[in-house]
Amino acid sequence: MPPREGTYGLLAEFDTPGDLIRAARQARQDGWRRMDCYTPYPVEEAAEAIGFHRNKVPLLTLVGGLMGLAAMFLLETWISVVAFPLNIGGRPTYSWPAFIIPAYEWTILWAGLSAAFGMMALNGLPELYHPLFNAPNFRNGATTDKFFLCLEALDPKFDLVETKKYLKNFQPLSVVEVEY
Amino acid sequence: MAHETHASTNPPGLPAELGAPAFVDGWKSRALTVGVVFTVIAAGLAAADHSTEHVLRAWLLGTVLSFGFSVGGLALLMVQYCSGGKWGLLLRRPLEAMSRTLPLVFVYWLVVAFSMKRLYLWAQVDDVAGALKSGFINAAQAHAIEFKRPMLNPTAFVVTSVVCFAIWGFYTWRLNALGLERDADVAGNTPYWIKKLENISGPGIVVYSLTMTAAVIYWVMSLDPTWYSSVYGLLFLVGQGYMVLAFGIIVAISLSKGEPFKTILRQTEQHDLGKFTFAFVMLNIYLAFGQFLIIWSGNLPEEIPWYLDRIRGHWGIIITLDFLFHWLIPFTMLLSRDIKRNKKRLVRVCQWMVFARAFDLFWLIEPNFKDAARNLHFSWGILEYAAVPVAMISFWVAFFCTRLKTRPLVQTNDPHVAEILEPEHVHA
Repeated sequence: MPPREGTYGLLAEFDTPGDLIRAARQARQDGWRRMDCYTPYPVEEAAEAIGFHRNKVPLLTLVGGLMGLAAMFLLETWISVVAFPLNIGGRPTYSWPAFIIPAYEWTILWAGLSAAFGMMALNGLPELYHPLFNAPNFRNGATTDKFFLCLEALDPKFDLVETKKYLKNFQPLSVVEVEY
Repeated sequence: MAHETHASTNPPGLPAELGAPAFVDGWKSRALTVGVVFTVIAAGLAAADHSTEHVLRAWLLGTVLSFGFSVGGLALLMVQYCSGGKWGLLLRRPLEAMSRTLPLVFVYWLVVAFSMKRLYLWAQVDDVAGALKSGFINAAQAHAIEFKRPMLNPTAFVVTSVVCFAIWGFYTWRLNALGLERDADVAGNTPYWIKKLENISGPGIVVYSLTMTAAVIYWVMSLDPTWYSSVYGLLFLVGQGYMVLAFGIIVAISLSKGEPFKTILRQTEQHDLGKFTFAFVMLNIYLAFGQFLIIWSGNLPEEIPWYLDRIRGHWGIIITLDFLFHWLIPFTMLLSRDIKRNKKRLVRVCQWMVFARAFDLFWLIEPNFKDAARNLHFSWGILEYAAVPVAMISFWVAFFCTRLKTRPLVQTNDPHVAEILEPEHVHA
């Protein structure tokens, strides 16, 4: 794949999360879809403002957990009943109460791993390069005290001049053009 | 966060009227109606059964249940004073009202105390050797009753229980009185009050766990004089957290149909309470299963009969249902973020949890008796478990409503008030 060139988008910088939310809500209402918010800490309303939709991580976690449960319980059953039956205190070989704890541990282990790796798989991490890091104010501000709204060039409404004017309406600290 | 408010006016943002809304009276009359109807049903069942044996057993269940709401409420009140947090401010007045129902629990307990000889085997048997000879008790029971006599005797039962009630009464009075004094004080003294209530509550939680353990050992565990479990008190402690949180959520959400809870109950704190309840669901099954696994592994003749009494003879159905009701259903429901954030659904789950707690107590109490151990069978009497506790809890709820009406529903002299009045995600 040849490297992408040109404009990635326009990045507006705000001082408070409130300003960011207002701008993001308005932009979504005005029909913008290819956009994203960047904040130094989680701001749940920002996700709502840009039309956050559900993802599949909870489902992956559930399936992973159930797989862990089934795998360990079946493994224990197979060992105790088929592969290596032992008489332990005169109990039946299929003594399910004793299987519960390892099965429970594996449920948690698999659910946790599925959540972590599922999240990575679905959100595209680890990502070594992102165009936004070309913006110097983003590098400094996004992890400390500034709030960013990026309208991306892929959106059909995007126009370098018009969009810049549009973003200025929200009275941001700055609007910068970001290159790929 | 200090905010300037005059002691006599509410902080800006709070509704002017902080008292319980008028519909609480409606709850009260509804609870009284249910209570009367179920009292009639219980009387009818007792007549059909030609015995009041099961009325007493079910009465014990109702007593333990209302004890859980009242003293468990007191315990959670102390916990939130120590832990802080907005959820604590939200539930503070409902919890105070729950703790102030203690006199009714004491009245319920009096019936248990007066019918001690009909409920507790160790109180029935004076002449152990004679009872053993006549076959009324077996050798293990004879030994246990003889050996535990210094602890399991009517005087010790009454003295211990009364001392426990006195201690809970002291903490209830102290915390409730200081809660009002704090509101009357100026805002500048808030740090003093926070420290003071913390200093009372911290040791109070320790005292509560000890007295509560003593009480449930006497009232419930000693129904079977041969058996003991060191995790028993903790199991009831967690069970009380389970039902008190469930009831607290029901009350908070139901109150939010009117002011002031309409203003102060935000989705964030509701979600937090849901998560907290979920933790108790997990802790509860952890302890219950831990106790079972240890006794099952040991397989000792001193311990295992208690479980066999509760598994064999069709009790296996009840313990399976208990597992589903008590853990699996609340667990899977509370796992969902949407259910925790939905008022109607969360209330449904919490109502279910209160029922599940009562069902668990049924499984704990009924198999202690000779006719029911390893032999689950139908009698008109066993239906008392569905009648007597409902009536008792209904009367308890009616009493709780009167307690709720006696003071404003929001503590105003607290830094969390300003936070809870902010719109959600205020930084946004």
